[in-house]
Amino acid sequence: MACRGVLLYVLLEVRNKVLPMLKVTGNGSTITCDGVTRRDFLQVGTLGAIGLSLADAAALQAAAAADKSKDKRSCIMIFNLGAPSQLDTFDPKPDAPREIRGPFKPISTKGDFQLTEILPQHAKVADKFSLVRSTYHTAAAVHDTGHQMLQTGRLFSGGIITPHAGCALEFLKGRRTELPAHVMLPETMGPTGGNLPHGQDAGFLGKAYDPFVLNGDPSKADFKVPDLLPPKEIGEARLARRRELRQVVDDTVKSFESSESAKLMDANFHSAYRLMTSARAREAFDLTREPAKVRERYGLTRFGQCCLLARRLVEAGVRFVTINTFITVFNEITWDIHGSKPFTSIEGMRDIVAPMYDQGYSALIEDLAQRGLLGDTLVCNLAEFGRTPRVNPAGGRDHWPQCWTIYFAGGGVKGGRVVGKSDEIGGYPAERPVKPAEVVATIYHSLGLDLDAHLPGPQSRPFPLVDFGTQPVKELFA
Amino acid sequence: MRPSGAGTFSVNCRSKVNPLVSAACLLAFVTVANAASLTLLPSQFTFTGPASRQQLVVVHSSGGKFLGQVTNDLTFTSSNERVVRIEGDTAVPVRNGSATITARAGRQSAKVAVSVTGMDKPFEWSFRNHVQPVLAKAGCSSGACHGAAAGQGGFRLSLRGYDDEGDHRALTRHALGRRIVPGDPGRSLVLLKPTSTIPHKGSKRFDVDSLEYKILSEWIAEGAQGPRADEARIARLEVLPDLTTLQPGATQQLLVRAHFSDGSVQDVTRWAKYTDANAAVTAVNDTGSVTVLGHGEGAITAWYLSRIATATVTVPYTNKVAAAVFAKAPRRNFIDDLATEKLRELNLPPSPRSGDSEFLRRAFLDTIGLPPAAAEAREFLADPSLKKRDALIERLLARPEFVDYWTYKWSDLLLVNSDKFRPAAMWSYYNWIRSHVAANTPWDRFVRELVTARGSTAEMGAGNFFVLHDDPTTMAETTTVAFMGLSITCAKCHNHPMEKWTNDEYFGFANLFARVRAKNGAAEGERIIFAAAEGDIIQPLTGKPQKPRPLDGKPLAFDAPGDRRDVMASWLVSRDNPYFSRSIANRVWANFMGVGLVEAVDDLRVTNPASNEKLLTALGRHLADRNFDLKALMRAILQSETYQRTSAALPSNAADTRFYSHYYPKRLMAEVLLDSYSHVTGVPTDFFQDKRNANQGRGPAYPVGFRALQLPDTKTDSYFLRTFGRPDRDRTCECERTGEPSMAQALHIANGDTLNRKLAAKGNRLEQQLASGTPDAQLVEDVFLAALARFPTEAEKTTFTDTLAACAAAGRRALLEDIYWSLMSSREFLFNH
Repeated sequence: MACRGVLLYVLLEVRNKVLPMLKVTGNGSTITCDGVTRRDFLQVGTLGAIGLSLADAAALQAAAAADKSKDKRSCIMIFNLGAPSQLDTFDPKPDAPREIRGPFKPISTKGDFQLTEILPQHAKVADKFSLVRSTYHTAAAVHDTGHQMLQTGRLFSGGIITPHAGCALEFLKGRRTELPAHVMLPETMGPTGGNLPHGQDAGFLGKAYDPFVLNGDPSKADFKVPDLLPPKEIGEARLARRRELRQVVDDTVKSFESSESAKLMDANFHSAYRLMTSARAREAFDLTREPAKVRERYGLTRFGQCCLLARRLVEAGVRFVTINTFITVFNEITWDIHGSKPFTSIEGMRDIVAPMYDQGYSALIEDLAQRGLLGDTLVCNLAEFGRTPRVNPAGGRDHWPQCWTIYFAGGGVKGGRVVGKSDEIGGYPAERPVKPAEVVATIYHSLGLDLDAHLPGPQSRPFPLVDFGTQPVKELFA
Repeated sequence: MRPSGAGTFSVNCRSKVNPLVSAACLLAFVTVANAASLTLLPSQFTFTGPASRQQLVVVHSSGGKFLGQVTNDLTFTSSNERVVRIEGDTAVPVRNGSATITARAGRQSAKVAVSVTGMDKPFEWSFRNHVQPVLAKAGCSSGACHGAAAGQGGFRLSLRGYDDEGDHRALTRHALGRRIVPGDPGRSLVLLKPTSTIPHKGSKRFDVDSLEYKILSEWIAEGAQGPRADEARIARLEVLPDLTTLQPGATQQLLVRAHFSDGSVQDVTRWAKYTDANAAVTAVNDTGSVTVLGHGEGAITAWYLSRIATATVTVPYTNKVAAAVFAKAPRRNFIDDLATEKLRELNLPPSPRSGDSEFLRRAFLDTIGLPPAAAEAREFLADPSLKKRDALIERLLARPEFVDYWTYKWSDLLLVNSDKFRPAAMWSYYNWIRSHVAANTPWDRFVRELVTARGSTAEMGAGNFFVLHDDPTTMAETTTVAFMGLSITCAKCHNHPMEKWTNDEYFGFANLFARVRAKNGAAEGERIIFAAAEGDIIQPLTGKPQKPRPLDGKPLAFDAPGDRRDVMASWLVSRDNPYFSRSIANRVWANFMGVGLVEAVDDLRVTNPASNEKLLTALGRHLADRNFDLKALMRAILQSETYQRTSAALPSNAADTRFYSHYYPKRLMAEVLLDSYSHVTGVPTDFFQDKRNANQGRGPAYPVGFRALQLPDTKTDSYFLRTFGRPDRDRTCECERTGEPSMAQALHIANGDTLNRKLAAKGNRLEQQLASGTPDAQLVEDVFLAALARFPTEAEKTTFTDTLAACAAAGRRALLEDIYWSLMSSREFLFNH
């Protein structure tokens, strides 16, 4: 890692001389101050001469232009796969007809807004989070498109797989410690009825920037991170010997130099070794170090313990934790309240999902606030769409991407307020519509990333972090 | 395309001092030095009325290939401006007659003869053929706007205008008739809104002085007529140039022409919608201008009135490769002829042939899912015969493990899944597949038997297909994706936006399955599949059933006797059905080559072309000609020089990931990796059935010695298999399985209990080796041959024997475990290369 520091030094030196001449414009072309195009710039070969590709230069510039005061910022993204019904949770419409407002009554909260009665613990911490009630998208109303758009800011098209926000962050800022920069709990999203990707990996950035997926259930008594530690019989000496012998074999056959998959496997082993020899990593994942009272406050559910683990990981230096509240909508009680099997009923949500979710989230917010972490930790609660304003014949609600609610806490966000409004039936944004691209821009803004930054896209062409003109929802921070 | 004109060659590169363009010009110069000429596109056209226009594009061509657009120094002239006049780069009819249009660039020229008719006939805009394209191109009927399922703002159109009658009603009858105001067209909502004359949430779509406005307003003034039964209908779409060779940085304007049922052909470049299939190579804007971004092959799709056409752009790599390299590249069969030809077009030199050890291990893993044993490796490597590779191929095709491997693959495809079936049913399904693989049943017979299965599922295991897919739409969608590589699902609600399938065709096809029924049999889980004598599936859009019809084949009468599936099966497996043979050929090809000619392997869309069309067609034909004998196809692939190339890339072909200039290393399939670990250590894996989805926890164990590839389904409790990407077999989609490496996999190999337990087990191969007293040098050789199918290099031999020699007797077992571990966690082991 020392060589990286030297390279960075060299690049910074060059940056001061070279890059001020380089302006990366939003529409993908690059012009220098005297109007010379990118192609000509490359011809001149300045970057090439010092071994920098345009993509590296772009990343470097992005890092340099980032807001240093936000270097300590982290993010916990709670993704409510299945999609909560906005009318039954965060956007009650008590004056609407019965078949629209649903069965739950509104309650007052510590914030400027009402919630429904199934989220009483949210009400108590409502001064810490702010709602965006006018989120919408115009893509197909299936789960996977919403997953893509809310986690990467874009709908996949033309064969381009855009990276999850946490992966983009890892690319631009790297790890803080030997722990991965982006951890996903408890598992990646699974079947939700489509066959499109969910947008939970690093896409065109390459699998080296994929999140570390826990693949375990922290609420189980025998929970441990699968394979974090070698078997007892294999001590340090044998571990080292194994690595050396393996290196001898790998050095023989070089035909893998050009294979992306093979390079990635190497990188994976390297990261694995760093992780398994780190005491800090072992402790971060060890929930038995928490008092029983704390574990109970979060709730001894998979979701609750994931929230607790997320707090510990952020404390240990992880930059981004994604929590998938659920990993499928089939044959489980989730947010996806179509009202008939294999999906969930509104009662199932009321009795099982809401209490578990209410408890875990409120515990997380209180805990972060008490430890003084909330200021530098953005907690965002997202979903792929909302649900139909009109209750369906099965007594449930179906998919509705035209309007729904998401919310944010910490990371510079001022709590207790509402941004945007939906119409009288919670069906369409009435004020301040917010697109998924803006949601992701908001996350980047909180984390201090430069929105004009570029990532190395397919064929190493600079790919804008956000599309030109996309702005974060500034009203959350003002 | 015949190059026209005999003018002297000239390429104008004088205009901009831009080094890359100059380089491109130079390359073009070198490439076309001999016989480049100017070609005017389209090469012939006629005007049939005052609304017709024709955009003109001029390209260089040589030897029948298009090599790039000419725009510098270009002029168009008409021989008779009173018949046809030129506006910029567009020809416009004036009155009936004939004229010749000449394009001149420098000293070269090209001509096209044009005739004009119908200028004296009364002309009216057609709703179907003029208004609908305006609404589609302006985005009005797109899925994000009024084409959404619920429309927008109370105004709903069919997605991209597939429903002319319904859309006409929505425009003229709904909203109190304010959308269209015949007496004062300018006050129609359909004009006020998209011009933002009054607030429009969809923002401004076109200006008041635009052609869109003109067409809509004149159509309204003419009475806002609806679709007519007697008007010409679009028959097909054409894009020019359909195949062109360009360099990065070049731009190419495409032309799109619509051919109608009355023989007329219209230029619809302005109205088509464009998408690019490979954004790394080409990008297209909404006027049909393509920009080349990188090397390889790009494909641009034009859509117009529910028809699609695709243009291919070949962008050769900038390597200096002598022609002899391609001419002299070794060729065994037609695969090599076609693959090498594509490499030549792209300027990608092929890597040399693989070494014996490389080929040995690769062929074993790809054909039977197991590595060779040490003794087998020793024997093959020592064999001096020149025919030993062919002999190995024959032995592998005849091995019993072949049956396990390929039964497993087809079980993935057919979703053999004990979550969905009782044990007896699952086994009968699995065994039906297995018996056919063992008999090498021709693929067309296999598929026919499957899709026409009837009777008891206990006796005819294939019937379980209809227990799994129990309604006509699921049967239809699964059949097409599994056996034709086509996803028709989008067409269930509207015309498929990316394919040629219409909503009518979807329901016609689904109606072929509408009479399949199942009733309970006597035994548990047994079902009886039969075809009822009546029943049709209703098409929601029309409220009526469509005549049963195999997609674009001939329709059946509703009351035709017999099981409709028999007709469907005959159409499906016919050798005249290009999708059928290409789809299975692509799957088999992808198994060996690592990357399909079409990717994803089950996504053979018109808008997702193959990386080598000719090769895919030839593979399909080869298979069909051999009565769909899959082993014959595998033999041809295994014997080809293309398959046998080394995986070591040359610097000049390292960037290639689609054209097979070298073998692409691929991580072993989860099951193959696990079986390899068992094979090398001599310790089988214990497999337990996983019944957690049924809330029954861990189920019974499989017999000891069972390999992962012998498992009938994927519901086994195995962290290893899950982590390494085994599919759940819930959906018929290749995407369910993943071969990508991850840190969790690295951690599991290093610390997990799968490999470590096998290494430490009592009585395993390591123990036997130590007990046998073999000298260290031989021991090391055996380990390398068993794990990697090769001898250790001198350096490896020295390192390992030295380490063994320096080790105390008490630590030898642990050391041997570490030696085995180091080989079995190496890249070389984890990858098939």
